[in-house]
Amino acid sequence: MGMVATAVLTALTLTACGIPRDPEGTLERVEGGTVRAGITENHPWTDLSGGEPAGVEVDLIEAFAESLGARVEWFDGSQAELLESLEKRELDVVAGGLTADDPWAQMVTFTQPYAEISILVGVPPGRQPPEEIDGLRVAVERGHQTAALVEDAAGIPVEVDDLSGARGLVAAEEWELEKLGLVPSEIELDKAQHVVAMPRGENAWLVRMERFLSDRAASVDELLQEHAS
Amino acid sequence: MKHHYELPREKLPIHRKAVRLEWLTIGYLITAIVGIYLTLGNSQAMKTAWIEDMLSLIPPIVFLIAARIRNRPPNERFPYGYHRAVSIAYLCASLALTLMGAFLLFDALLNLVATEHPSIGTVELFGHHIWLGWLMELALLWSAVPAVFLGRAKLPLARDLHDKVLFADAKINKADWLTAVAGMAGVLGIGLGLWWADSVAAAVISVDILYDGLENLRAVVTDLMDTRPTTVDDKVDPLPARVENELRKRAWVKDVRARLREEGHVYFGEVFVVPSTEQNLLGNIERAHQDLHDMDWRLHDVVVTPTRSLEDQDGSNGEG
Repeated sequence: MGMVATAVLTALTLTACGIPRDPEGTLERVEGGTVRAGITENHPWTDLSGGEPAGVEVDLIEAFAESLGARVEWFDGSQAELLESLEKRELDVVAGGLTADDPWAQMVTFTQPYAEISILVGVPPGRQPPEEIDGLRVAVERGHQTAALVEDAAGIPVEVDDLSGARGLVAAEEWELEKLGLVPSEIELDKAQHVVAMPRGENAWLVRMERFLSDRAASVDELLQEHAS
Repeated sequence: MKHHYELPREKLPIHRKAVRLEWLTIGYLITAIVGIYLTLGNSQAMKTAWIEDMLSLIPPIVFLIAARIRNRPPNERFPYGYHRAVSIAYLCASLALTLMGAFLLFDALLNLVATEHPSIGTVELFGHHIWLGWLMELALLWSAVPAVFLGRAKLPLARDLHDKVLFADAKINKADWLTAVAGMAGVLGIGLGLWWADSVAAAVISVDILYDGLENLRAVVTDLMDTRPTTVDDKVDPLPARVENELRKRAWVKDVRARLREEGHVYFGEVFVVPSTEQNLLGNIERAHQDLHDMDWRLHDVVVTPTRSLEDQDGSNGEG
Protein backbone atom coordinates (compact mmCIF):
# COMPACT_ATOMS: atom_id res chain seq x y z
CA MET A 1 0.00 0.00 0.00
CA GLY A 2 2.92 2.32 0.78
CA MET A 3 4.50 1.52 -2.56
CA VAL A 4 1.29 2.21 -4.41
CA ALA A 5 1.02 5.59 -2.69
CA THR A 6 4.61 6.52 -3.58
CA ALA A 7 4.14 5.49 -7.18
CA VAL A 8 0.93 7.46 -7.47
CA LEU A 9 2.46 10.57 -5.90
CA THR A 10 5.50 10.37 -8.17
CA ALA A 11 3.34 10.01 -11.23
CA LEU A 12 1.22 12.93 -10.14
CA THR A 13 4.22 15.20 -9.52
CA LEU A 14 5.82 14.34 -12.84
CA THR A 15 2.70 14.99 -14.82
CA ALA A 16 1.58 18.01 -12.80
CA CYS A 17 3.17 20.31 -15.31
CA GLY A 18 1.03 20.35 -18.41
CA ILE A 19 -2.17 19.23 -16.75
CA PRO A 20 -4.88 19.60 -17.84
CA ARG A 21 -4.55 18.94 -21.58
CA ASP A 22 -7.01 19.37 -24.42
CA PRO A 23 -8.24 16.16 -26.08
CA GLU A 24 -8.46 18.11 -29.36
CA GLY A 25 -5.42 20.34 -28.76
CA THR A 26 -7.34 23.63 -28.91
CA LEU A 27 -4.95 25.75 -26.82
CA GLU A 28 -1.94 24.52 -28.76
CA ARG A 29 -3.60 25.31 -32.06
CA VAL A 30 -4.69 28.78 -30.95
CA GLU A 31 -1.32 29.88 -29.56
CA GLY A 32 0.26 31.95 -32.32
CA GLY A 33 -2.74 31.12 -34.50
CA THR A 34 -6.39 32.15 -34.71
CA VAL A 35 -9.26 32.17 -32.19
CA ARG A 36 -12.52 31.31 -33.96
CA ALA A 37 -15.00 33.37 -31.90
CA GLY A 38 -18.76 33.37 -32.28
CA ILE A 39 -20.62 36.60 -31.47
CA THR A 40 -24.29 37.33 -31.04
CA GLU A 41 -25.68 40.79 -30.39
CA ASN A 42 -26.29 41.75 -26.75
CA HIS A 43 -25.44 45.33 -25.99
CA PRO A 44 -23.18 46.31 -24.17
CA TRP A 45 -21.52 42.92 -23.84
CA THR A 46 -21.41 42.37 -27.59
CA ASP A 47 -22.24 44.94 -30.26
CA LEU A 48 -22.46 44.42 -34.01
CA SER A 49 -24.20 47.70 -34.89
CA GLY A 50 -21.00 49.51 -35.85
CA GLY A 51 -19.89 47.02 -38.51
CA GLU A 52 -16.91 45.88 -36.46
CA PRO A 53 -17.56 43.71 -33.38
CA ALA A 54 -17.38 45.80 -30.20
CA GLY A 55 -18.41 45.47 -26.57
CA VAL A 56 -17.16 44.38 -23.16
CA GLU A 57 -16.71 40.72 -24.09
CA VAL A 58 -15.16 41.58 -27.46
CA ASP A 59 -12.51 43.63 -25.66
CA LEU A 60 -11.84 40.80 -23.22
CA ILE A 61 -11.55 38.13 -25.90
CA GLU A 62 -9.31 40.25 -28.13
CA ALA A 63 -7.04 40.95 -25.14
CA PHE A 64 -6.99 37.24 -24.33
CA ALA A 65 -6.02 36.35 -27.91
CA GLU A 66 -3.26 38.96 -27.79
CA SER A 67 -1.88 37.32 -24.64
CA LEU A 68 -1.59 34.10 -26.65
CA GLY A 69 -0.04 35.78 -29.66
CA ALA A 70 -3.15 34.99 -31.70
CA ARG A 71 -5.67 36.93 -33.77
CA VAL A 72 -9.47 36.66 -33.53
CA GLU A 73 -11.78 35.70 -36.38
CA TRP A 74 -15.35 36.69 -35.55
CA PHE A 75 -18.38 34.75 -36.77
CA ASP A 76 -21.81 36.17 -36.16
CA GLY A 77 -25.11 34.33 -35.88
CA SER A 78 -27.97 33.59 -33.53
CA GLN A 79 -27.19 32.22 -30.09
CA ALA A 80 -28.62 28.82 -31.01
CA GLU A 81 -26.56 28.50 -34.20
CA LEU A 82 -23.34 29.61 -32.55
CA LEU A 83 -23.67 27.29 -29.57
CA GLU A 84 -24.38 24.38 -31.89
CA SER A 85 -21.19 25.18 -33.82
CA LEU A 86 -19.35 25.42 -30.52
CA GLU A 87 -20.63 22.01 -29.53
CA LYS A 88 -19.29 20.57 -32.79
CA ARG A 89 -15.96 22.33 -32.05
CA GLU A 90 -16.26 24.43 -35.20
CA LEU A 91 -15.77 27.48 -32.93
CA ASP A 92 -13.43 28.01 -29.99
CA VAL A 93 -15.46 30.47 -27.92
CA VAL A 94 -18.86 32.16 -28.08
CA ALA A 95 -19.70 35.54 -26.55
CA GLY A 96 -23.11 37.17 -26.26
CA GLY A 97 -23.73 38.46 -22.77
CA LEU A 98 -24.49 34.88 -21.70
CA THR A 99 -25.28 34.16 -18.07
CA ALA A 100 -24.68 31.00 -16.05
CA ASP A 101 -28.39 30.09 -15.88
CA ASP A 102 -28.72 29.89 -19.66
CA PRO A 103 -30.48 26.63 -20.64
CA TRP A 104 -27.79 25.84 -23.22
CA ALA A 105 -25.34 24.94 -20.46
CA GLN A 106 -25.62 21.19 -21.12
CA MET A 107 -24.16 21.12 -24.63
CA VAL A 108 -21.22 23.42 -24.02
CA THR A 109 -19.23 24.59 -21.02
CA PHE A 110 -19.53 27.97 -19.38
CA THR A 111 -16.51 29.58 -17.77
CA GLN A 112 -16.58 30.57 -14.11
CA PRO A 113 -18.44 33.93 -14.02
CA TYR A 114 -16.14 36.82 -14.85
CA ALA A 115 -18.65 39.34 -13.49
CA GLU A 116 -21.54 39.12 -11.05
CA ILE A 117 -24.01 41.94 -11.53
CA SER A 118 -27.05 42.53 -9.36
CA ILE A 119 -30.44 42.75 -11.01
CA LEU A 120 -32.27 45.44 -9.07
CA VAL A 121 -35.59 47.25 -9.18
CA GLY A 122 -35.09 50.95 -9.89
CA VAL A 123 -37.33 54.01 -9.57
CA PRO A 124 -37.25 57.38 -11.29
CA PRO A 125 -35.38 60.00 -9.23
CA GLY A 126 -37.51 61.73 -6.65
CA ARG A 127 -39.85 58.76 -6.14
CA GLN A 128 -39.80 56.72 -2.95
CA PRO A 129 -38.32 53.25 -3.66
CA PRO A 130 -40.75 50.47 -2.63
CA GLU A 131 -39.97 47.86 0.04
CA GLU A 132 -41.53 45.06 -2.01
CA ILE A 133 -42.99 44.72 -5.48
CA ASP A 134 -46.01 42.61 -4.49
CA GLY A 135 -48.68 43.25 -7.08
CA LEU A 136 -46.77 46.19 -8.58
CA ARG A 137 -46.10 46.59 -12.30
CA VAL A 138 -42.40 46.49 -13.21
CA ALA A 139 -41.01 47.15 -16.70
CA VAL A 140 -38.52 44.56 -18.03
CA GLU A 141 -36.67 44.21 -21.30
CA ARG A 142 -38.24 41.70 -23.66
CA GLY A 143 -36.33 38.46 -24.25
CA HIS A 144 -34.47 38.32 -20.93
CA GLN A 145 -35.13 36.16 -17.90
CA THR A 146 -35.90 39.27 -15.85
CA ALA A 147 -39.66 38.83 -16.38
CA ALA A 148 -39.56 35.49 -14.60
CA LEU A 149 -37.57 37.01 -11.75
CA VAL A 150 -40.19 39.74 -11.29
CA GLU A 151 -42.94 37.10 -11.21
CA ASP A 152 -41.05 35.09 -8.60
CA ALA A 153 -40.97 38.19 -6.41
CA ALA A 154 -44.78 38.52 -6.78
CA GLY A 155 -44.58 41.51 -9.11
CA ILE A 156 -46.27 41.98 -12.49
CA PRO A 157 -43.75 42.15 -15.36
CA VAL A 158 -44.45 44.48 -18.25
CA GLU A 159 -42.29 43.56 -21.24
CA VAL A 160 -41.03 46.45 -23.38
CA ASP A 161 -38.59 46.63 -26.24
CA ASP A 162 -36.81 49.74 -25.01
CA LEU A 163 -36.48 50.49 -21.31
CA SER A 164 -35.68 54.16 -21.84
CA GLY A 165 -39.36 54.82 -22.57
CA ALA A 166 -40.55 53.16 -19.38
CA ARG A 167 -41.99 55.17 -16.52
CA GLY A 168 -42.36 53.86 -13.00
CA LEU A 169 -40.59 50.76 -11.72
CA VAL A 170 -37.95 49.09 -13.90
CA ALA A 171 -36.04 45.85 -13.26
CA ALA A 172 -32.61 45.60 -14.90
CA GLU A 173 -28.91 45.10 -14.17
CA GLU A 174 -27.35 47.74 -11.96
CA TRP A 175 -25.31 49.49 -14.67
CA GLU A 176 -28.38 49.73 -16.92
CA LEU A 177 -30.46 51.43 -14.23
CA GLU A 178 -27.64 53.95 -13.80
CA LYS A 179 -27.50 54.56 -17.53
CA LEU A 180 -31.27 55.18 -17.59
CA GLY A 181 -30.90 57.70 -14.78
CA LEU A 182 -32.96 55.59 -12.38
CA VAL A 183 -32.29 55.14 -8.68
CA PRO A 184 -31.72 51.50 -7.65
CA SER A 185 -33.77 50.30 -4.69
CA GLU A 186 -32.80 47.72 -2.08
CA ILE A 187 -34.76 45.03 -3.89
CA GLU A 188 -32.30 42.59 -5.49
CA LEU A 189 -34.06 40.04 -7.69
CA ASP A 190 -30.97 37.99 -8.53
CA LYS A 191 -27.29 38.17 -9.38
CA ALA A 192 -26.55 37.80 -13.09
CA GLN A 193 -23.42 35.69 -13.53
CA HIS A 194 -21.80 36.63 -16.81
CA VAL A 195 -19.87 33.95 -18.66
CA VAL A 196 -18.53 33.08 -22.08
CA ALA A 197 -19.16 29.70 -23.68
CA MET A 198 -16.38 27.20 -24.41
CA PRO A 199 -16.36 23.77 -26.09
CA ARG A 200 -16.80 20.83 -23.75
CA GLY A 201 -13.75 18.84 -22.67
CA GLU A 202 -11.05 21.28 -23.88
CA ASN A 203 -9.80 21.76 -20.35
CA ALA A 204 -6.42 23.43 -20.97
CA TRP A 205 -8.22 26.02 -23.13
CA LEU A 206 -10.90 26.48 -20.47
CA VAL A 207 -8.43 26.87 -17.61
CA ARG A 208 -6.37 29.44 -19.56
CA MET A 209 -9.49 31.48 -20.34
CA GLU A 210 -10.76 31.31 -16.74
CA ARG A 211 -7.41 32.46 -15.34
CA PHE A 212 -7.28 35.35 -17.84
CA LEU A 213 -10.84 36.48 -17.10
CA SER A 214 -10.17 36.30 -13.37
CA ASP A 215 -7.09 38.50 -13.78
CA ARG A 216 -9.10 41.07 -15.71
CA ALA A 217 -12.18 40.96 -13.47
CA ALA A 218 -11.48 44.40 -12.04
CA SER A 219 -11.53 46.02 -15.48
CA VAL A 220 -15.09 44.92 -16.27
CA ASP A 221 -16.60 47.94 -14.53
CA GLU A 222 -14.49 50.29 -16.66
CA LEU A 223 -15.41 48.45 -19.83
CA LEU A 224 -19.10 48.62 -18.93
CA GLN A 225 -18.87 52.38 -18.44
CA GLU A 226 -17.15 52.72 -21.79
CA HIS A 227 -19.57 50.61 -23.82
CA ALA A 228 -22.83 51.25 -22.02
CA SER A 229 -23.17 54.82 -23.16
CA MET B 1 -26.38 -4.95 32.95
CA LYS B 2 -29.26 -6.03 30.74
CA HIS B 3 -29.71 -9.68 29.98
CA HIS B 4 -28.51 -10.36 26.47
CA TYR B 5 -30.46 -12.84 24.41
CA GLU B 6 -27.71 -13.68 22.00
CA LEU B 7 -24.17 -12.95 23.00
CA PRO B 8 -22.42 -14.45 26.00
CA ARG B 9 -20.88 -12.07 28.50
CA GLU B 10 -17.34 -12.30 27.14
CA LYS B 11 -18.48 -11.23 23.66
CA LEU B 12 -20.18 -8.07 24.84
CA PRO B 13 -17.09 -5.81 24.95
CA ILE B 14 -16.27 -6.93 21.41
CA HIS B 15 -19.76 -6.01 20.34
CA ARG B 16 -19.50 -2.63 22.01
CA LYS B 17 -16.23 -1.98 20.16
CA ALA B 18 -17.94 -2.93 16.90
CA VAL B 19 -20.78 -0.52 17.65
CA ARG B 20 -18.28 2.29 18.28
CA LEU B 21 -16.47 1.57 15.03
CA GLU B 22 -19.72 1.58 13.10
CA TRP B 23 -20.70 4.99 14.51
CA LEU B 24 -17.23 6.21 13.56
CA THR B 25 -17.70 4.78 10.08
CA ILE B 26 -20.97 6.63 9.63
CA GLY B 27 -19.46 9.94 10.78
CA TYR B 28 -16.44 9.49 8.53
CA LEU B 29 -18.53 8.48 5.50
CA ILE B 30 -20.59 11.66 5.86
CA THR B 31 -17.42 13.78 5.64
CA ALA B 32 -16.26 11.79 2.61
CA ILE B 33 -19.66 12.23 0.93
CA VAL B 34 -19.63 15.99 1.52
CA GLY B 35 -16.04 16.18 0.25
CA ILE B 36 -16.89 14.48 -3.01
CA TYR B 37 -20.12 16.45 -3.40
CA LEU B 38 -18.20 19.72 -3.23
CA THR B 39 -15.84 18.61 -6.00
CA LEU B 40 -18.25 16.63 -8.20
CA GLY B 41 -17.91 18.84 -11.27
CA ASN B 42 -18.71 17.14 -14.50
CA SER B 43 -17.09 13.80 -13.83
CA GLN B 44 -19.03 10.56 -14.19
CA ALA B 45 -16.46 8.73 -12.07
CA MET B 46 -16.86 11.21 -9.21
CA LYS B 47 -20.62 10.88 -9.36
CA THR B 48 -20.33 7.09 -9.19
CA ALA B 49 -17.88 7.21 -6.28
CA TRP B 50 -20.26 9.57 -4.50
CA ILE B 51 -23.18 7.19 -4.87
CA GLU B 52 -21.02 4.28 -3.75
CA ASP B 53 -20.10 6.14 -0.58
CA MET B 54 -23.74 6.86 0.13
CA LEU B 55 -24.60 3.19 -0.37
CA SER B 56 -21.78 2.30 2.02
CA LEU B 57 -23.81 3.95 4.76
CA ILE B 58 -26.40 1.18 4.59
CA PRO B 59 -24.48 -1.74 6.20
CA PRO B 60 -23.37 0.22 9.31
CA ILE B 61 -26.90 1.59 9.78
CA VAL B 62 -28.35 -1.91 9.41
CA PHE B 63 -25.83 -3.22 11.93
CA LEU B 64 -26.68 -0.58 14.52
CA ILE B 65 -30.44 -1.01 14.15
CA ALA B 66 -30.10 -4.79 14.29
CA ALA B 67 -28.00 -4.50 17.43
CA ARG B 68 -30.99 -2.87 19.12
CA ILE B 69 -33.70 -5.11 17.71
CA ARG B 70 -32.11 -8.53 18.14
CA ASN B 71 -31.79 -8.08 21.82
CA ARG B 72 -35.52 -7.89 22.43
CA PRO B 73 -36.84 -10.86 24.37
CA PRO B 74 -39.13 -13.29 22.54
CA ASN B 75 -42.80 -12.67 23.26
CA GLU B 76 -46.13 -14.21 22.36
CA ARG B 77 -46.24 -12.61 18.96
CA PHE B 78 -42.64 -13.42 18.12
CA PRO B 79 -41.92 -16.64 19.99
CA TYR B 80 -38.61 -17.13 18.18
CA GLY B 81 -37.41 -13.66 19.08
CA TYR B 82 -36.20 -10.95 16.71
CA HIS B 83 -33.00 -12.49 15.37
CA ARG B 84 -34.30 -12.55 11.80
CA ALA B 85 -34.89 -8.80 11.74
CA VAL B 86 -31.35 -8.18 10.61
CA SER B 87 -31.63 -10.65 7.74
CA ILE B 88 -34.53 -8.71 6.30
CA ALA B 89 -32.70 -5.40 6.49
CA TYR B 90 -29.64 -7.07 5.01
CA LEU B 91 -31.72 -8.32 2.09
CA CYS B 92 -33.01 -4.83 1.34
CA ALA B 93 -29.51 -3.39 1.52
CA SER B 94 -28.05 -6.04 -0.80
CA LEU B 95 -30.85 -5.50 -3.29
CA ALA B 96 -30.24 -1.75 -3.25
CA LEU B 97 -26.52 -2.25 -3.90
CA THR B 98 -27.11 -4.69 -6.73
CA LEU B 99 -29.69 -2.56 -8.52
CA MET B 100 -27.67 0.61 -8.08
CA GLY B 101 -24.51 -1.10 -9.38
CA ALA B 102 -26.32 -2.36 -12.46
CA PHE B 103 -27.86 1.04 -13.16
CA LEU B 104 -24.54 2.89 -12.74
CA LEU B 105 -22.75 0.44 -15.05
CA PHE B 106 -25.41 0.99 -17.69
CA ASP B 107 -25.11 4.76 -17.23
CA ALA B 108 -21.32 4.72 -17.55
CA LEU B 109 -21.43 2.62 -20.72
CA LEU B 110 -24.08 4.93 -22.21
CA ASN B 111 -21.80 7.87 -21.47
CA LEU B 112 -18.88 6.15 -23.16
CA VAL B 113 -20.91 5.45 -26.26
CA ALA B 114 -22.18 9.04 -26.40
CA THR B 115 -18.52 10.19 -26.47
CA GLU B 116 -19.19 13.04 -24.05
CA HIS B 117 -16.08 15.03 -23.22
CA PRO B 118 -16.16 16.05 -19.54
CA SER B 119 -15.20 19.65 -18.79
CA ILE B 120 -13.15 20.28 -15.67
CA GLY B 121 -12.22 23.93 -15.17
CA THR B 122 -10.90 25.90 -12.22
CA VAL B 123 -12.18 26.96 -8.84
CA GLU B 124 -11.08 30.00 -6.97
CA LEU B 125 -9.36 29.16 -3.70
CA PHE B 126 -7.66 31.83 -1.60
CA GLY B 127 -7.31 34.10 -4.60
CA HIS B 128 -5.78 31.43 -6.88
CA HIS B 129 -7.44 29.52 -9.67
CA ILE B 130 -6.74 25.84 -9.10
CA TRP B 131 -7.70 23.07 -11.52
CA LEU B 132 -10.73 21.34 -9.98
CA GLY B 133 -9.22 17.98 -10.91
CA TRP B 134 -6.64 18.28 -8.12
CA LEU B 135 -9.36 18.84 -5.56
CA MET B 136 -11.22 15.84 -6.95
CA GLU B 137 -8.13 13.68 -6.42
CA LEU B 138 -7.91 14.84 -2.80
CA ALA B 139 -11.59 14.13 -2.17
CA LEU B 140 -11.20 10.63 -3.61
CA LEU B 141 -8.13 9.97 -1.49
CA TRP B 142 -9.99 11.00 1.65
CA SER B 143 -12.91 8.77 0.69
CA ALA B 144 -10.67 5.71 0.43
CA VAL B 145 -7.71 5.69 2.79
CA PRO B 146 -9.55 5.90 6.15
CA ALA B 147 -12.12 3.41 4.84
CA VAL B 148 -9.43 0.77 4.30
CA PHE B 149 -8.20 1.17 7.88
CA LEU B 150 -11.73 1.01 9.27
CA GLY B 151 -12.37 -2.15 7.25
CA ARG B 152 -9.24 -3.79 8.60
CA ALA B 153 -10.26 -2.97 12.18
CA LYS B 154 -13.75 -4.40 11.78
CA LEU B 155 -12.84 -7.68 10.08
CA PRO B 156 -11.56 -9.60 13.14
CA LEU B 157 -14.51 -8.34 15.19
CA ALA B 158 -16.91 -9.72 12.60
CA ARG B 159 -15.25 -13.14 12.78
CA ASP B 160 -15.39 -13.13 16.55
CA LEU B 161 -19.04 -12.17 16.70
CA HIS B 162 -20.03 -14.39 13.76
CA ASP B 163 -21.69 -11.30 12.29
CA LYS B 164 -22.21 -11.41 8.54
CA VAL B 165 -23.46 -7.85 8.19
CA LEU B 166 -20.35 -6.53 9.93
CA PHE B 167 -18.18 -8.83 7.82
CA ALA B 168 -19.73 -7.66 4.57
CA ASP B 169 -19.40 -4.05 5.70
CA ALA B 170 -15.72 -4.53 6.56
CA LYS B 171 -15.03 -6.09 3.19
CA ILE B 172 -16.78 -3.26 1.36
CA ASN B 173 -14.68 -0.71 3.28
CA LYS B 174 -11.45 -2.56 2.56
CA ALA B 175 -12.27 -2.69 -1.15
CA ASP B 176 -12.69 1.08 -1.29
CA TRP B 177 -9.08 1.36 -2.44
CA LEU B 178 -10.25 0.12 -5.84
CA THR B 179 -12.78 2.92 -6.12
CA ALA B 180 -10.15 5.50 -5.20
CA VAL B 181 -7.57 4.21 -7.66
CA ALA B 182 -10.13 3.98 -10.46
CA GLY B 183 -11.54 7.43 -9.73
CA MET B 184 -8.12 9.05 -9.43
CA ALA B 185 -6.95 7.39 -12.63
CA GLY B 186 -10.11 8.63 -14.33
CA VAL B 187 -9.59 12.25 -13.30
CA LEU B 188 -5.90 12.08 -14.16
CA GLY B 189 -6.85 10.63 -17.53
CA ILE B 190 -9.08 13.62 -18.24
CA GLY B 191 -6.20 15.87 -17.23
CA LEU B 192 -4.03 14.15 -19.81
CA GLY B 193 -6.64 14.72 -22.49
CA LEU B 194 -8.07 11.18 -22.44
CA TRP B 195 -11.74 12.10 -22.31
CA TRP B 196 -12.86 8.47 -22.14
CA ALA B 197 -10.88 7.78 -18.94
CA ASP B 198 -13.71 9.18 -16.84
CA SER B 199 -16.42 6.87 -18.20
CA VAL B 200 -14.12 3.85 -18.00
CA ALA B 201 -13.33 4.64 -14.36
CA ALA B 202 -17.04 5.05 -13.64
CA ALA B 203 -17.71 1.66 -15.24
CA VAL B 204 -15.02 0.00 -13.11
CA ILE B 205 -16.43 1.50 -9.91
CA SER B 206 -19.97 0.44 -10.78
CA VAL B 207 -18.81 -3.13 -11.48
CA ASP B 208 -17.33 -3.09 -7.98
CA ILE B 209 -20.66 -1.98 -6.51
CA LEU B 210 -22.54 -4.58 -8.53
CA TYR B 211 -20.17 -7.31 -7.37
CA ASP B 212 -20.56 -6.27 -3.72
CA GLY B 213 -24.32 -6.27 -4.12
CA LEU B 214 -24.43 -9.73 -5.70
CA GLU B 215 -22.09 -11.21 -3.11
CA ASN B 216 -24.21 -9.94 -0.27
CA LEU B 217 -27.44 -10.88 -2.02
CA ARG B 218 -26.21 -14.44 -2.38
CA ALA B 219 -25.20 -14.57 1.26
CA VAL B 220 -28.48 -13.29 2.62
CA VAL B 221 -30.68 -15.36 0.31
CA THR B 222 -28.96 -18.58 1.35
CA ASP B 223 -29.29 -17.40 4.94
CA LEU B 224 -33.03 -16.88 4.59
CA MET B 225 -33.39 -20.21 2.84
CA ASP B 226 -32.01 -21.89 5.96
CA THR B 227 -29.00 -23.47 4.32
CA ARG B 228 -26.60 -25.31 6.54
CA PRO B 229 -24.61 -22.92 8.71
CA THR B 230 -21.52 -21.26 7.26
CA THR B 231 -18.80 -19.16 8.85
CA VAL B 232 -18.54 -15.44 7.98
CA ASP B 233 -15.98 -16.48 5.34
CA ASP B 234 -18.66 -18.61 3.73
CA LYS B 235 -17.07 -21.95 4.59
CA VAL B 236 -19.08 -24.85 5.97
CA ASP B 237 -19.32 -24.50 9.72
CA PRO B 238 -17.92 -27.54 11.51
CA LEU B 239 -20.24 -27.02 14.49
CA PRO B 240 -23.09 -29.32 13.40
CA ALA B 241 -20.58 -32.14 12.87
CA ARG B 242 -19.07 -31.42 16.30
CA VAL B 243 -22.49 -31.64 17.90
CA GLU B 244 -23.12 -35.02 16.28
CA ASN B 245 -19.72 -36.40 17.26
CA GLU B 246 -20.09 -35.25 20.85
CA LEU B 247 -23.48 -36.91 21.28
CA ARG B 248 -22.46 -40.13 19.53
CA LYS B 249 -19.95 -40.71 22.30
CA ARG B 250 -22.73 -41.17 24.80
CA ALA B 251 -23.82 -44.66 25.73
CA TRP B 252 -27.52 -43.99 25.38
CA VAL B 253 -27.15 -42.65 21.82
CA LYS B 254 -27.31 -45.10 18.90
CA ASP B 255 -27.31 -42.52 16.11
CA VAL B 256 -27.69 -38.78 15.82
CA ARG B 257 -28.18 -36.10 13.20
CA ALA B 258 -28.11 -32.33 13.72
CA ARG B 259 -30.21 -30.03 11.54
CA LEU B 260 -29.28 -26.44 12.30
CA ARG B 261 -30.02 -23.08 10.69
CA GLU B 262 -28.75 -19.56 11.31
CA GLU B 263 -30.81 -16.69 12.63
CA GLY B 264 -28.52 -13.68 12.78
CA HIS B 265 -25.65 -14.47 15.14
CA VAL B 266 -27.09 -17.65 16.57
CA TYR B 267 -28.17 -21.13 15.55
CA PHE B 268 -31.57 -22.69 15.97
CA GLY B 269 -32.34 -26.26 15.14
CA GLU B 270 -33.12 -29.86 15.98
CA VAL B 271 -30.86 -32.68 16.99
CA PHE B 272 -32.50 -36.01 16.18
CA VAL B 273 -31.33 -38.81 18.43
CA VAL B 274 -32.04 -42.52 18.01
CA PRO B 275 -31.64 -43.79 21.55
CA SER B 276 -30.14 -47.22 22.24
CA THR B 277 -32.18 -47.45 25.41
CA GLU B 278 -35.39 -45.80 26.56
CA GLN B 279 -34.30 -45.92 30.19
CA ASN B 280 -34.02 -42.46 31.78
CA LEU B 281 -34.64 -40.95 28.34
CA LEU B 282 -35.93 -37.66 29.70
CA GLY B 283 -32.91 -37.20 31.99
CA ASN B 284 -30.50 -38.05 29.17
CA ILE B 285 -32.15 -35.61 26.84
CA GLU B 286 -32.15 -32.86 29.44
CA ARG B 287 -28.45 -33.37 30.12
CA ALA B 288 -27.61 -33.44 26.40
CA HIS B 289 -29.56 -30.21 25.94
CA GLN B 290 -27.61 -28.49 28.72
CA ASP B 291 -24.25 -29.80 27.43
CA LEU B 292 -24.93 -28.49 23.95
CA HIS B 293 -25.78 -25.09 25.33
CA ASP B 294 -22.46 -25.02 27.17
CA MET B 295 -20.54 -26.27 24.14
CA ASP B 296 -20.79 -23.12 22.02
CA TRP B 297 -22.50 -19.77 22.61
CA ARG B 298 -24.02 -19.91 19.15
CA LEU B 299 -26.18 -22.96 19.92
CA HIS B 300 -28.90 -20.72 21.14
CA ASP B 301 -32.08 -22.67 20.82
CA VAL B 302 -31.47 -26.27 19.93
CA VAL B 303 -34.05 -28.94 20.59
CA VAL B 304 -32.93 -32.49 21.29
CA THR B 305 -35.63 -34.88 20.18
CA PRO B 306 -35.80 -38.67 20.26
CA THR B 307 -36.88 -40.55 17.18
CA ARG B 308 -37.15 -44.18 16.12
CA SER B 309 -35.23 -43.84 12.91
CA LEU B 310 -33.25 -41.12 11.19
CA GLU B 311 -34.59 -42.02 7.73
CA ASP B 312 -37.92 -40.29 8.32
CA GLN B 313 -36.41 -36.87 8.87
CA ASP B 314 -36.04 -34.09 6.34
CA GLY B 315 -32.61 -32.99 5.32
CA SER B 316 -31.29 -36.32 4.00
CA ASN B 317 -28.58 -38.72 5.02
CA GLY B 318 -25.69 -37.16 3.21
CA GLU B 319 -27.42 -36.18 -0.01
CA GLY B 320 -28.59 -32.75 -1.04
